[in-house]
Amino acid sequence: MITTKDLTKVYRTRDREVTALDGVDLHVSEGEVFGVVGQSGAGKSSLIRCVNLLERPTSGTVSVAGQELTALAGSGKRAGKELRAARGRIGMVFQHFNLLSSRSVLGNVELPLEILGYSGQERTRKARELLDLVGLADKAKAHPAQLSGGQKQRVGIARALAGDPKVLLSDEATSALDPETTRSVLQLLRDLKEQLGLTVLLITHEMDVVKAVCDSAALMKNGRITESGTVPELLATPGSELARELFPVGGVPSAPGRTVVDVTFHGATTTEPVISKLSRTYEVDISILGAAMDTVAGKQVGRMRIELPGSFEDNVVPIGFLREQGLTVDVAAVAAAARDDENTDAARGTAGLAKEGAK
Amino acid sequence: MTWSEIQPLLFQGFWDTLYMVGWSALIALAGGLPLGVLLVLTDKGGMLQNAPVNKVVGAVVNVGRSLPFIILLIALIPFTRFVVGQSVGSTAAIVPLAIGAIPFFARLVETAVREVDRGLVEAVQAMGGGTPTVVFKALLPQALPSLVAGLTTTVIVLIGYSAMAGTVGGGGLGSVAVQYGYQRFETSVMLATVVALIVIVTAVQIIGDAVVRLLAAGRGGAGGDGGASRRLARLGRGRTVAVAAAVVVPLALIGYGIGQGGEDKQTLRIAASPTPHAEILEYVQKHLAAKEGLKLDVRKFNDYVVPNTATESGEVDANFFQHKPYLDDFNKKQHTDIRPVVNVELEPLGLYSKKEQSLKDIGDGDTVAVPNDSTNEGRSLHLLAKHGLIELKPGAGQEATLGDIADTNGLKFKELEAAAVPRALDDVDAAVINGNYAVDADLNPAKDALVAEQAKGNPYANFLAVKDGKQHDPRIEKLAKLLNSQQVKKFIEHKYQGAIEPVFGSVGS
Ligand SMILES: Nc1ncnc2c1ncn2[C@@H]1O[C@H](COP(=O)(O)OP(=O)(O)O)[C@@H](O)[C@H]1O
Ligand SMILES: [Mg+2]
Repeated sequence: MITTKDLTKVYRTRDREVTALDGVDLHVSEGEVFGVVGQSGAGKSSLIRCVNLLERPTSGTVSVAGQELTALAGSGKRAGKELRAARGRIGMVFQHFNLLSSRSVLGNVELPLEILGYSGQERTRKARELLDLVGLADKAKAHPAQLSGGQKQRVGIARALAGDPKVLLSDEATSALDPETTRSVLQLLRDLKEQLGLTVLLITHEMDVVKAVCDSAALMKNGRITESGTVPELLATPGSELARELFPVGGVPSAPGRTVVDVTFHGATTTEPVISKLSRTYEVDISILGAAMDTVAGKQVGRMRIELPGSFEDNVVPIGFLREQGLTVDVAAVAAAARDDENTDAARGTAGLAKEGAK
Repeated sequence: MTWSEIQPLLFQGFWDTLYMVGWSALIALAGGLPLGVLLVLTDKGGMLQNAPVNKVVGAVVNVGRSLPFIILLIALIPFTRFVVGQSVGSTAAIVPLAIGAIPFFARLVETAVREVDRGLVEAVQAMGGGTPTVVFKALLPQALPSLVAGLTTTVIVLIGYSAMAGTVGGGGLGSVAVQYGYQRFETSVMLATVVALIVIVTAVQIIGDAVVRLLAAGRGGAGGDGGASRRLARLGRGRTVAVAAAVVVPLALIGYGIGQGGEDKQTLRIAASPTPHAEILEYVQKHLAAKEGLKLDVRKFNDYVVPNTATESGEVDANFFQHKPYLDDFNKKQHTDIRPVVNVELEPLGLYSKKEQSLKDIGDGDTVAVPNDSTNEGRSLHLLAKHGLIELKPGAGQEATLGDIADTNGLKFKELEAAAVPRALDDVDAAVINGNYAVDADLNPAKDALVAEQAKGNPYANFLAVKDGKQHDPRIEKLAKLLNSQQVKKFIEHKYQGAIEPVFGSVGS
């Protein structure tokens, strides 16, 4: 539904050049919610703004719904007619809502309909429908200044849906909201996706957002996508940084000469008593160092760090058994002696992403 | 003057002000709004980014804003004539007012539009809106409160500017204040007009503020950019004071020359009009004074009040710019004791025309421009009466006004500031012009005037004057002697070719 090929964006300022996007290949399938995470300055906003060509890429192509937007005339600031029409079919939601204080809530939702050329009556009817869809039918006459943050974002979403888009872009749509409101706005996005068959590309720095709504995710670092895939795929990828960020598990071995293994459960395996089976079958003492369990995209997913006695060579057979059970198994390269390293490493990983939450 | 005399002046002034300011504000709105928006759109990072256009428009706006209004007023006379077919009157004043206000308002529009959140522009673009949509659906509606505040400020500045419209005969309250209150010492008229101006300015500000508040309230109050417009509105409240200052400060500045110059006790400080008075004094200073051991410090004034008040207060030792009727009137009304010392020259008032060749051709239906200050107007009417163009009522004094005419013989009159009369010559059938202004306008009283005043026994000869008691200061006596010397006589005759005539000797009473 959204495909970018070798997308590059270089900002030239008077004294220097900033490469915000450095060869980004992104593929978002129809009907999925795709999350892009990364630290501040990673290039996430540049990416999403290149998708509807608010920013013209330096090189590379962008296609949305089979139409190659980069081939259409005009630039981000001076768009040609075809590009403007294409943008009308892509909805966009902003971190700071970007509602016009000069218009009522209804007027704000009517604005894109005016641009699309709806007649007066049609416009009002459709805008009211959209407000109903986001649960704000009673606020039509209010002004944006009289709404709470969550309500403002609902108006922003209603407005983004005015052109019956197949694609919705969201740049940190929940970052200005408190956790409670964030949850309800994400729920709304998820419901709308199901109801309208939307494809959603959302940008966030919060792992919780990915956990709550995303089918797929990508990690951005320094203008590049370093990991990308469906959430189950990512969780099943040994050494995945995203998986570790989604489910940080800690714990260090109790003594030297033991093997530490990270196990990820998903799908049916979460309900299987795999660990006790392992213990019984091979008569090994297993100690659990840490564990996390959560719901991702409506599915139960768990992650556990366990400790087996003996070296890795001693444990080849039990590890093979776990893999046979359909689990993702990662042998953690930690030893008791490396205790401090592991601690700081894990801490850095989570702190890195958590940093942006503070801004 | 009594209230019943002041009232019609106020009414006429009010309507003239309203007419001039109303139209010029409308034109400023129509011109400044697109210019201001264009400045934002073509700026770096703007939707129509275009550095050359931005630089040119920005430069034009800056030049327009930096020109003193009075200069704009004079410089635009040919353009004004081209646009509205005349260069004098209220309609003619609208042109320079509007052109002065367009760049002023354009900058306010630019600031207001720039304050609109860029995110809103981006949102409209993301919906598929083009530049016109962004401008008309986002930028202008969002900036509306600030734009209204800016327009209010512009109207108030225009009211201030319109005070100078008297220069081109535009009328209005400001010029009533200058003409009657300042030039003729009718303090009551000045007070009445200043009060009327303050009332008008305050009313405009209150209405503007109310509209801004109403708009902000319609947006649910705490809107993100409501703050900007409210700040602008608050800024505007200081304007009433600013306009009062704008009336007072120029008057104070006229006297700026006073504090300047050497303190040498031997040096004689003389206040003079630039032509011909200062020129004659400079001739004396260069060629004659040194031999007599006299040092002169010549200070030029464009104004006719400050030289006398400065002489009275001792800030200058003498002045040279006026004639007897003016000084008598000044002494009486200002309670000063300034005395003439010796006559020097006469600038004969003359009747000029570009349309007619002789006096006989001027008559029924023709318009004659005359200076609007009391002495020159009286002097003009006496000149016209002497040559049979009009008849004055019996007993009409030296300060006769249009009301003292018994029979106009079908002539119509236009009263203008004396300095502006030559510029109006193209727009009227004939004009009475002071000798010095005629010279400035390349007219020669001896050759070009249809009729001119005679030097002999003329009460309007200009003289050296001092504060009573200083007549016998040896330095003054030396200067008086030099000013009446053969060399000065030759200088005047040679330099001014009859436009200015030497008239020497003691001043008759
Ligand atoms: N308009 C711009 N001009 C110059 N540099 C920019 C511009 N927009 C973004 N950048 C730079 O590009 C990099 C990526 O920014 P951005 O895409 O906003 O990252 P993110 O949204 O992940 O925080 C940053 O270094 C930022 O400073
Ligand atoms: Mg960003």
